[in-house]
Amino acid sequence: MAAGAPIVEVSRLRKSYGSRLVLDEVNLDVRVGEIVGLLGPNGAGKTTTLSILATLLTADAGEVRIAGYDSRRDAQAIRRRLGFVPQSIALYPSLTAFQNVELFARMHGLGARAARSAAEEALARVGLSNRARDVVSVLSGGMRRRVNLACGIVHRPEILVLDEPTVGVDPQSRERILDTLRELADAGAAIIYSTHYMEEIERLCDRALLIDHGRLIASGTVAELVALAGSRHRMELTFQGKAPARLYDGIAGVSALEPAPSAERMVLLLGDLAQVSRVLERALSAGNRVLEFSLHSPNLSDAFMALTGRALRDNDADSASERGL
Amino acid sequence: MLRTVYLVLRNEFRLLLQDRTALFMLFLAPVVIIAVAGFSLGNMFGVQSSARTFSIPLVDHDHGAIAKAISDGLSREETLRLVTVADDRAARAIVTRNDESPLAIVIPAGVTSAFESGRSAHILIYVDPVKRVEAEGIELRLNALSRGVAARARELAQARLNQTDADVRARVDRLVEQIDALQAQAADYQRRMRRGRATLQETLDARIREEIQRIGARTEAAVQRATAARAATVQEQLSRKQSAMTAVVAYLRQLQVSRRAFEQWLAALKSAAGSHANEIPPPPNWPNPPRAEQLTELSRPIDLAPGRLDLTAPAELANFAIAIPDIPMPPAPRVSLDPRSLLPARPPALPGDLDWRERPLTPGYAEVNSFDQYVPGFGITFLLLDVLWGVSVGLIDERDWGTLQRLRVSGAPVPGLMIGKLAARVLIGFVQLVVLFSLGRLLFGIELGRNPLMLLLPTAAIAFAAASFGLVIAGIARTRDSVLPIGSVAAMTMSAVGGCWWPLNFEPGWMRSVAAGMPTTWTMRAYNDLMIRGLDPTHALWPSAITLALGVAFLGAGVIGAARVYQ
Repeated sequence: MAAGAPIVEVSRLRKSYGSRLVLDEVNLDVRVGEIVGLLGPNGAGKTTTLSILATLLTADAGEVRIAGYDSRRDAQAIRRRLGFVPQSIALYPSLTAFQNVELFARMHGLGARAARSAAEEALARVGLSNRARDVVSVLSGGMRRRVNLACGIVHRPEILVLDEPTVGVDPQSRERILDTLRELADAGAAIIYSTHYMEEIERLCDRALLIDHGRLIASGTVAELVALAGSRHRMELTFQGKAPARLYDGIAGVSALEPAPSAERMVLLLGDLAQVSRVLERALSAGNRVLEFSLHSPNLSDAFMALTGRALRDNDADSASERGL
Repeated sequence: MLRTVYLVLRNEFRLLLQDRTALFMLFLAPVVIIAVAGFSLGNMFGVQSSARTFSIPLVDHDHGAIAKAISDGLSREETLRLVTVADDRAARAIVTRNDESPLAIVIPAGVTSAFESGRSAHILIYVDPVKRVEAEGIELRLNALSRGVAARARELAQARLNQTDADVRARVDRLVEQIDALQAQAADYQRRMRRGRATLQETLDARIREEIQRIGARTEAAVQRATAARAATVQEQLSRKQSAMTAVVAYLRQLQVSRRAFEQWLAALKSAAGSHANEIPPPPNWPNPPRAEQLTELSRPIDLAPGRLDLTAPAELANFAIAIPDIPMPPAPRVSLDPRSLLPARPPALPGDLDWRERPLTPGYAEVNSFDQYVPGFGITFLLLDVLWGVSVGLIDERDWGTLQRLRVSGAPVPGLMIGKLAARVLIGFVQLVVLFSLGRLLFGIELGRNPLMLLLPTAAIAFAAASFGLVIAGIARTRDSVLPIGSVAAMTMSAVGGCWWPLNFEPGWMRSVAAGMPTTWTMRAYNDLMIRGLDPTHALWPSAITLALGVAFLGAGVIGAARVYQ
């Protein structure tokens, strides 16, 4: 298909598990060579959406067309064009990386020779050629994730569906995975990428979809979505002793978030990052001892917060620091 | 320190109470296995977990007292039910097929007569080697019964002998009495005979002398008359001869004179005639000779034969008879008792030995190698464990790993995935059993039956059924951890109840009924038929078919149950 043409079209998708509605009127589309991120908290419906796209689940209502095929009637045709990287490390631990990748290549219909060649190529793409003969169980978590990705791309799918493929991986592996996905998209693959790491969305995806409680609450480029959260930066200060009053008086474009979290802490909203130094200077010149301060620019999480009133994750900051981002 | 110990201890118990698998393995699994083993092996320790009645085929070729005694004796056993069948083949078939028939009893023709005549009599028993323990229990009872029958028969025979002895003695006594009487009669007879003989001798002598005298006189008179008649006849004949002779003599004298005269005349004539002699006339006639009868008489010989004596016996002599005087004869001595009656109708004899002899159901399969039971039995157990584990854990692992989901997305058809996984496990289980049987043959000398290739049929069937059951377990056990207790208990229970660890007949009836629904039962039946009973290979067909059918049923249930796993 031509670059930019929609290859995945989903309209009014509904899915329930018993009485629990997990997808409600979801619409989305993905174009050739585009990476679309699916962002939402746990339980938002990301995995269900991807499972329907991967033909593992059937929607209760709505329509899914992939590469022109209806997912209900032409699931096999879709599967031949689809690559799926599940959230779990779907590998045989006692087989080598090569054997795993080669197996799934064969299962996707490649001949023996082609499968071997494709497996070597896929492993090279994820940077594991030198570990191809190691059994999966001895590989690190990040390497397993990369093998997991290799299994999903070994047959060169037109559409690649990834369900949180970077959970728990080291930075090196994450970089490799994200680079690989970008290469694939550049080569013409349409990629649907589910994660609750907004940083990955911001870095990788051409478009993002925000989903919560089974409903698509926003979609667009990252910048478009972040703009939904407003443009003000958030500065949080912790003082030794009581936070000083009137600290930001006279500094244009700075206001305080009321009520303050505590007597020692203060949250300020800044219109410009240049105002940060001014606020700090004033605090220090007044003899206040600042124990800690942090600066937070608007992002997708804020957009999600702005749209839903809830955080994207329970502890976004902690997780971000753990991931070294 | 103590606080730490306490807290750790409490926490361990808290963890244990949260672990249903551990609790299952701690308490329920052992109880299940203990119950199965206890119910199954209770009979070995003499515990009758339930009243069990054995059905014993009985073939009676004898139709005698022994057969009746055995039949009656066994009929009195509450736990035995005799079934009379026509022939040995039918009896063997019952033993082979009926779990309640460990053995069949055959009473050969002539057992009763052999036993009663003092020879050893043998009852034949066809024992199913698979039901050896039950058979031995019945053999013990049969042994006691045989001893009882023999002892009772000896008592009766001894009583008959004693009675016969008394009868014979009484008869002998009577015979002796009669012989004594006979001897007395014989002596009297002898005396009477001597007297009669003397009297007869005297009478005969007198009569003979008298008759001789009378006949002599008569004979002398007859001779004198005959002599006189002959003399007269001779005299008459001599007179006629004499007259004839006189005539002849006279003629002859005259003839002589004439002859001389003629001779003179002739001479004169001739002289006178000279040359005319030829002309001389014929001579004159000679005188007439005597008459012919005279001459015949002269030539007839004189009959000088003596005259015939009239020796015709007088009429009295023709009727001569010597009347033998009547000698009084004593009655002939008789023995009223027939000595043959002293003998009993049949030679008295004590009964012989009565015992039983085992015959194998199949010739050549009398001895049982315990490994014939344990190699297939434990082979099946480990096949179940391995295949159950392989299928169910393999499936759950693939679900948990996500490879199953990934395989589905790859476009591979789900039936193909399931069939591939099951086929692999079936093949692995099949090869496992083949290897175990081969090792069993090499190491323990197990019997592989008439056609070892036929063992492959039940082996394939149980491998298929085990793999299908693995699918069922995969549907029941939701997690990998659950498979171990559920799968292992299921495998061990199926093995134990199905007769893999001990012969099925150890088990009570209700448990055997349960076992009928287990593939292990039918597979072991096939193995037992081929390896222990040595039956025709076709006997493996039906059990293998049932095993396959159960496998298909498991497969159906497993597909339904495992569908959840695949989702």
